[in-house]
Amino acid sequence: MPETTTAPPAPHPASYPAATTAVIVREYGPFDGGHAIAGVSYDGRNVWAATCRQLVAFDPASGRVTRTLPHAGDAGTAFDGRHLWQIIESRIDKIDPATGEVLGSIPAPSGSHDSGLTWAEGSLWVGHHRGRRIHQIDPATGAIRRTLESNRFVTGVTWVDGELWHGTWEGDESELRRIDPDSGQVLQRLQMPPGTHVSGLEADGGDLFFAGGGGTGKVRAVRRPRT
Amino acid sequence: MDALIAASARALAAGDALGALQHVALRDDPPALALRGIAMAQLGEHGLARRLLQRARRAFGPREAVARARCLLAEAEVALALRELGGTAAALADAGATLQRHGDAVNALHARLVSARQWLLLGRLADARAVLDTLDAPRLPPTLAAVAALARAEVALRSLRSAEANEALAIAQQAARRSGVPSLMAEVAEARAALERPAARGLRAGRVQTLRLAEVETWLASDALVLDACRRGIARAGAWRSLARRPVLFTLAQALATAWPGDVERDVLIASAFRTRHPDETHRARLRVEIGRLRALLQGLATVDATPRGFALSPTAAGEVVVLLPPIDGGQASLLALLSDGAAWSTSALALALGQSQRSVQRALAELQAGGQMRAMGRARSRRWLAPPLIDFTTVLLLPAVLPGA
Repeated sequence: MPETTTAPPAPHPASYPAATTAVIVREYGPFDGGHAIAGVSYDGRNVWAATCRQLVAFDPASGRVTRTLPHAGDAGTAFDGRHLWQIIESRIDKIDPATGEVLGSIPAPSGSHDSGLTWAEGSLWVGHHRGRRIHQIDPATGAIRRTLESNRFVTGVTWVDGELWHGTWEGDESELRRIDPDSGQVLQRLQMPPGTHVSGLEADGGDLFFAGGGGTGKVRAVRRPRT
Repeated sequence: MDALIAASARALAAGDALGALQHVALRDDPPALALRGIAMAQLGEHGLARRLLQRARRAFGPREAVARARCLLAEAEVALALRELGGTAAALADAGATLQRHGDAVNALHARLVSARQWLLLGRLADARAVLDTLDAPRLPPTLAAVAALARAEVALRSLRSAEANEALAIAQQAARRSGVPSLMAEVAEARAALERPAARGLRAGRVQTLRLAEVETWLASDALVLDACRRGIARAGAWRSLARRPVLFTLAQALATAWPGDVERDVLIASAFRTRHPDETHRARLRVEIGRLRALLQGLATVDATPRGFALSPTAAGEVVVLLPPIDGGQASLLALLSDGAAWSTSALALALGQSQRSVQRALAELQAGGQMRAMGRARSRRWLAPPLIDFTTVLLLPAVLPGA
């Protein structure tokens, strides 16, 4: 498998469920002078969005910005309960959200093609954008534990209630997908409305996803369907 | 976008082309190629930039229409800086339409601006003006607004509308200042200086004076009959009769206009129009024929009356007769003056207008081209000559953000 691909996207296999349209509940931002959103995370109270120049935290109820950390972000953001993890260039920084201090760094798994990031059960899960894959890595060393394949460019990744969800954005199409964390099989598909795309994804643990809106600089709250 | 692409784009947006390259120098996937192309263009490596952008455009997948359109737009802009204008107009229009359809309004406007500048460089003022008229000025970001206003100023200058040019340059100056791009501000200052330079010499009542563009315009708009030896024609209060394809008639008209209100001897007219110092009856007969043709051409503007010694010009309406001459004398100055209309001329048309052989015109053109005072397009028989742009955009590359999500 090459590092990245220029092959056109494969058609969806027959085993894929039909897509339903994602319901956008609310839009936040743009923040920080309208810079693009690279990653999104949620720490239980605040939504964190990585813009190109800094990390912005906002209250999802009021939409007001509560914190900013002067830490540039290039792709996914995650929260492990205590620390923020942020992909920048070809590494993943571990950041203390209280002080903004960088506590450590691990190399990003693909070295440069990383997109979404989330934390679950002692592992970091990293999207590999044009490689159409998701890596599960060891947060201490950055070593790859497992890899899941997709048929679209992977953007954000998130875990919620034992479900692994990820965003795709290829060409004009963007979806939120629930996949089987063991087999990679696609279980559910939410298609983003035309003109909206996912860059960065996090769930609030309840009924919402927060999805980065790429170049629009917005973060969108999308309703999570209950199965 | 993946992390390194985002980091590279972040460096590019901050003007750090080398930092951007460092992130993606070893990558050949389409977004990396596109960023490398943009970085190279910023570093002035236009040829390489164009090849990288071309590769990126071809490598983006069939569903990545916006990314491909943006690459094509960047390619067109780089081609413009390289002064290579072959066959991109239709593709650029398509790319602009694609961007518009996908909600990328700013780049769609950018595409139209690039095509307007292409028309300008090709000497097709009417086409350039038509495209510029569709640009919605308030929605343009300052850099694009400044370049659009500069392009408008160039069209106005070429069409001898200095008030309009001044207005456009004032807008350009404001926009350039808002954009904060030093090279753009310098371009506007340079363009304003061009307005103050001598554009022609004027001959009125036996006295010669140097004229700026605005003064030329005033002369042309006055009720005087103007023999324009720059653009080769006769003007009066907005009416224009071109003599560019009638060199003998032009020479006669110029001699008569210069002598006004006096007359010109037949032998003098024969010597200047037919280039002979030993006139005989056949020359006098030819002169009568040519004067007849000139009368027909000037109908409604002026009459050519026979006097005991020769001929005299008299305007049909009240008002004087004045002559506009190229700012300096000589064959090259005449060539430059002819080309100042911004249109593309063939060598044969220039030779015809100046009444010289194609060979000597070609020789003068080659010298002017070597000195950068003239541009050539096309090859062999399709070669066309143009004046260099009054306002030179080469130092300002606006370059769209090429990536999806950017």
